[in-house]
Amino acid sequence: MLFLQLFISGLQTGAIYALTAAGFALIFGATRVFHVAHGATFALAGYAYLACTDAGLPWPAGALAALVLAVAFGLAMDAFIYRPIQRHEGSFFTVFVAAFGMSIVVQSVIELVFGRGFVTVSSALTMARQVAPGIYLADIFWVAAGVAIALFVLVTLFLERTRAGIGLRALSENPELLRAYGLSSRRLSAMAFGLGSALAVPGAILTTMTSGLQPAISHQVMLISLAAAVVGGIGSLRGAALAGLLLGVVENLVIGVLDTQWSAAAGFVVLFAFILFKPSGLFGQAVTR
Amino acid sequence: MTAYLLNLATLATIFGILAASLNLLIGYAGIFSVAHAVFFGLGAYAGAQVAMLLVPDVLLACLAGGAVAALLSLGLALPALRVRGEYFVAASLGLQMMAVTVFSEAHALTGGHGGLVGIPLPTLLGFDVSAQGVFLTVCLAVLALILLAIRMLMRGSFGRSLMAIRDSESAAEAFGKDVRQLKTLVVVLGCALAGVGGALFSFYMMFVNVESFTLEQSILIMAMVIIGGTATLAGPLVGVLLLLLLPAALSFLPFIPPTQIGAVQQFIYGLAMALLMIFRPAGIAGQSAGRR
Repeated sequence: MLFLQLFISGLQTGAIYALTAAGFALIFGATRVFHVAHGATFALAGYAYLACTDAGLPWPAGALAALVLAVAFGLAMDAFIYRPIQRHEGSFFTVFVAAFGMSIVVQSVIELVFGRGFVTVSSALTMARQVAPGIYLADIFWVAAGVAIALFVLVTLFLERTRAGIGLRALSENPELLRAYGLSSRRLSAMAFGLGSALAVPGAILTTMTSGLQPAISHQVMLISLAAAVVGGIGSLRGAALAGLLLGVVENLVIGVLDTQWSAAAGFVVLFAFILFKPSGLFGQAVTR
Repeated sequence: MTAYLLNLATLATIFGILAASLNLLIGYAGIFSVAHAVFFGLGAYAGAQVAMLLVPDVLLACLAGGAVAALLSLGLALPALRVRGEYFVAASLGLQMMAVTVFSEAHALTGGHGGLVGIPLPTLLGFDVSAQGVFLTVCLAVLALILLAIRMLMRGSFGRSLMAIRDSESAAEAFGKDVRQLKTLVVVLGCALAGVGGALFSFYMMFVNVESFTLEQSILIMAMVIIGGTATLAGPLVGVLLLLLLPAALSFLPFIPPTQIGAVQQFIYGLAMALLMIFRPAGIAGQSAGRR
C-alpha cells in the first residue's frame, strides 16, 4: 500500500516536473539556448501567485499575475541576455554562465523581499481524503494531472498544426532557410521563450499550494528540468515530459526503499546513468556535438 | 584587525588554489565542471581523517586529500570523455548533487550534517605551524608551488595539446593527440589540486561539514574563475580577491542589515557574471575578444 501511495504522490510531483521540463525543452529545441534561468521563471511565477493571494486577490488574478511575470521574464532574458551574447560570441558556456548569474540575481531578490523560509498558500484542494484502505488522495492530484495532460495536448497540437508552431520547429532545424522563407527568427525565438516560460506557471502555482516555496527552489527546478530534458533527449518535448514524470515517480518511490534524504539524489543518479550509457536520452537523436 | 586580515588572506589563498585548479579544467581544457566543490570536499574529509587518526601533518594530509580527490575524479573524467557541452555540465551537476547527499549521509566518514569536529592543530615535519601567520605562509607556499607547476605545464607540450583540444577536439585528434589520455590527466590533476586545497581548509577551519561543499560553493569557485578571466594565471586570483573582498567590504556599509549581506552579495555576483558575459566574456584579466 505504501508503494501505491508513493506512486500516486510521485505522479503528482511528476506532472509538475513534466510541464516545467517541457517548457525548458521547448525553448532549447527551438532556440538551442540552454535556458538555466528557467528555474527562476518558475520561482518568480510561484512568488507572484503567493503575493497576490496574500494581498487577498482571488486565485485567477494571482494566476494571471504569475503568467504575466513569467512570460515577461522569459522574454527579457531572451532580449537582454541571450541575444546580446549570441551577437558577438554565442559560446555555449558564456550563455550558461550569464543565465546562471541571472538566476542567482532572481534568487537573491526573492530572498530580500520574501525572506529565506518556506512559504505556502493554503487551499482546500490539498485536503487529503482516504479513497481506499491506506491510500490518501487530495483533489489537487486531479487538478495537476488534468492541467498537465490538457496543456501538453494543446502545445503538441500547436506545434504540429499551426503555422507558428511549424515555424518554431523549423527554427531548430535550419534558421537560415527560415529567413529565406520570410519568417523572422527573432519573433519565433521570442515566442518560444514566452510559451516555454508560460509552461512553468501551472507547476509553480501547484507547488505553492502543495510543498511550498523557498528562494532555493529556482535551483532545484532548474536542475530537475535540465535532468528531465537530458534524460528525455535534448530538444524532445515528449521525452522531457515523460522523463519529468519518471523523475517525479523515482524520487517518491526511493522514499519507500531508502531514507527520505536520498530522494533528491535519486533523480541525479538517473541523470548520470543516462549521460554515461545513453546520452541521446529516451527520444533524442544521437549526440552530434 | 590583524587577525581579521590574516583570516581573509588565508581563505583567499585556499580559494586561490581552488580557482587555479578549476581554471585548468575550464580555461585550458574546456571541461566545464560545475562539481569542483565535490573534490574540495573529498580532500577536506580525507585530510581531516588523516589528521585525526594518524598525525596532523600538513604535508601528509595534503597528499592524502589530493590522492583521494584524484582517485574519485575518475567519476568526472568518465562523462568528460563521453560527452561535451551541455551534456557534460548536466553530468557534473548530477555528480555534485549526488555527492552532497553522500557527504551528508555517510556518517562514518564525514560525520554527516554535524561534520568532523576537533581536527588537531597542524604540524609540518614535526614543527608546529598552527599560528595564524605561519599557517598563512604554508598556504601561500602551496599556492605558489601550484601556480608555478601550472605555468610550466601550460607552457609545455601538455598545455598546448590541452588548448588544442579545447579549441577543436577533432583537429587535435587528427594531429595525433591522445585526447582521452590528456583529458583524463587534466581532470585528475585539477581535482587532485582541489583536494590539496581541501586538506588545508580542514586544518584552517578545524571543522568541516557538508555546508562548505554544496552546489553554491561550486558556483562560487566557477564565478571566481570566470569573472577573473579563464586561461590566464592571474585571472582566477583576481576573481578570488574580488569575490572574497566583496562580502567583507559590504559588511562595512552601515545601511545593509547584517542578515541581508548574503543576499546582497549574491545579487552583486550574479549580476556581475551576467554583465561580464555580455560585455567582456574573457573576464577581467582575460585577453580581449578574438582569443579563446
